Amino acid sequence: MIEVENLSKTYSGFRAVQGISFHVKKGEIVGFLGPNGAGKSTTMKVLAGYLPPTDGKIRIAGFDVVTDSIEVRKRIGYMPENVPLYTDMRVNEFLRFRAELKKVTRRKIKDRVEAVKQLCSLKDVENKIIGTLSKGYRQRVGLADALVHDPDLLILDEPTIGLDPNQIRAVRDLIKDLGKHHTILLSTHILSEVELTCARVLVINRGKIEASDTPANLTKLVRGGGSIVLEVRAPGADVVSRIKALPNIEDVEIDLPGDGEWTHAKIFAEPGVDVREEIYGVVRQNNWPLRELSRVKATLEEAFVELTQD
Amino acid sequence: MAFWTLYKRELNSYFQSAVAYVVLFGSAVIQSMFFVILVRFISDANYKDQSVMQIFFTWPLFWLLLLGQVPLITMRVFSEEFKLGTIEMLLTAPVREWDVVLAKFFGSLSFFLILWLPIALDLVALQLFSNPEPPIYWSQVGMTALTITLAGGFYVSLGIFSSVLTKNQIIAAVLCFAFLLAFFGISLWRWVQHTDATTLAWISYVSLPEHLQNAVVGIFDTRPIVFYVSVTAFMLLVTKTILEGRRLQG
Repeated sequence: MIEVENLSKTYSGFRAVQGISFHVKKGEIVGFLGPNGAGKSTTMKVLAGYLPPTDGKIRIAGFDVVTDSIEVRKRIGYMPENVPLYTDMRVNEFLRFRAELKKVTRRKIKDRVEAVKQLCSLKDVENKIIGTLSKGYRQRVGLADALVHDPDLLILDEPTIGLDPNQIRAVRDLIKDLGKHHTILLSTHILSEVELTCARVLVINRGKIEASDTPANLTKLVRGGGSIVLEVRAPGADVVSRIKALPNIEDVEIDLPGDGEWTHAKIFAEPGVDVREEIYGVVRQNNWPLRELSRVKATLEEAFVELTQD
Repeated sequence: MAFWTLYKRELNSYFQSAVAYVVLFGSAVIQSMFFVILVRFISDANYKDQSVMQIFFTWPLFWLLLLGQVPLITMRVFSEEFKLGTIEMLLTAPVREWDVVLAKFFGSLSFFLILWLPIALDLVALQLFSNPEPPIYWSQVGMTALTITLAGGFYVSLGIFSSVLTKNQIIAAVLCFAFLLAFFGISLWRWVQHTDATTLAWISYVSLPEHLQNAVVGIFDTRPIVFYVSVTAFMLLVTKTILEGRRLQG
């Protein structure tokens, strides 16, 4: 659906995006992650045909974004950051205007407008002036606008920013639902959202792609995909040396100040190896009183921090 | 297709804004008031040299109205889109820059012409209620309407050009007013300084008051038509280029 080769974008000397390449297959929901100013919005604007790329080749549904811009735009539903809308129009009027503009055939306009109002729960504000709507409703009008011509590809720039937790959940469910029939590229800062909705994550930092994988695989990148916490009553140095002697152990850290004679250790094993049983063996051999032995799964947040911090 | 959709939206949006109603009301009052005064003056003084239309459209008042209306109706055209960020939404729909520029131009021009409806209605009323019925010369009416439309088109294109330059509506209005004044000032030059015949010929080529003097007596002259159509087309081309340029900059 999306093929990006070597995309660069320079604004008056500043290289916002530096030669990124990625592919999105039909039917995928892909999350676009990155710190502020990483180049997410710029990339999305280029994909939507609003900004021309400085360099590189982008094809969407087989059409070139630069030379076949109109064809590409017919197939994209783009929701820009902050959702700019005509504040003087009524919801119904606006959606009809957008449907017409996006070349929905005359006889289908009514059905499509009804359908997206239903989908985005806009029925009860359909006759209100957009300027009087709350942020949550405006966001939904923006989403309805992106969907009104039933595009193959949805590009959503921070669709849940500024919403309350209930609304976030509603939008998330909506996106998951839409993912059954559409290809979706969405950017967000809310990592739990990505874990729940996206099949794949692209992490971008300083205009470059740092990682592209499933959320589960990304968390595995974080030092062995998680750590093991061990709390025993024994001298710290003993714990470190005995456990380090085990195979498949990468590192052992004493991370919290001891509580009396107790030692709190964090153990990092090699990726994909479960060493809890061996650790328990060591504990039993030494007769250390045991208070805790558990595995801590790495979160996407840790993966994000690790990938985007220098 | 996209043009019609955008044109309808553009013209409709005028009727959503308070400024438009103020301009509409102001124009209607000023036009009709002076029309009544002129008619009274002509009948009281038994004035036979010129028609009401001739006096009205060659009066400085008419020029002032023209210069005041256009900046007010065109200032928001692009500025507001830039300010609200809706330009991004507009240009990511499958529309061309030309569709946008032309829709905005014809939308504003239509509203401009609506502003001049009161004077047309005044003329109709004069025709209906006068006794004996004054003769009506369609060539005069037609030429005047054509000249106002064409000159209005050029003024509106200058206004749209000013609006594409900035996201601040006030700056757009002031710029437009300055452009209009500078252009209109050319036709007043002969009263400022002694002018030779060659310069006068040049001035008459671009002078709206002189075009109107010919139009109100029904003279068909192709020169102003060619002039207004070409400068309008040029301004629209410049506007479209700047719109693209602003997008390219991000």
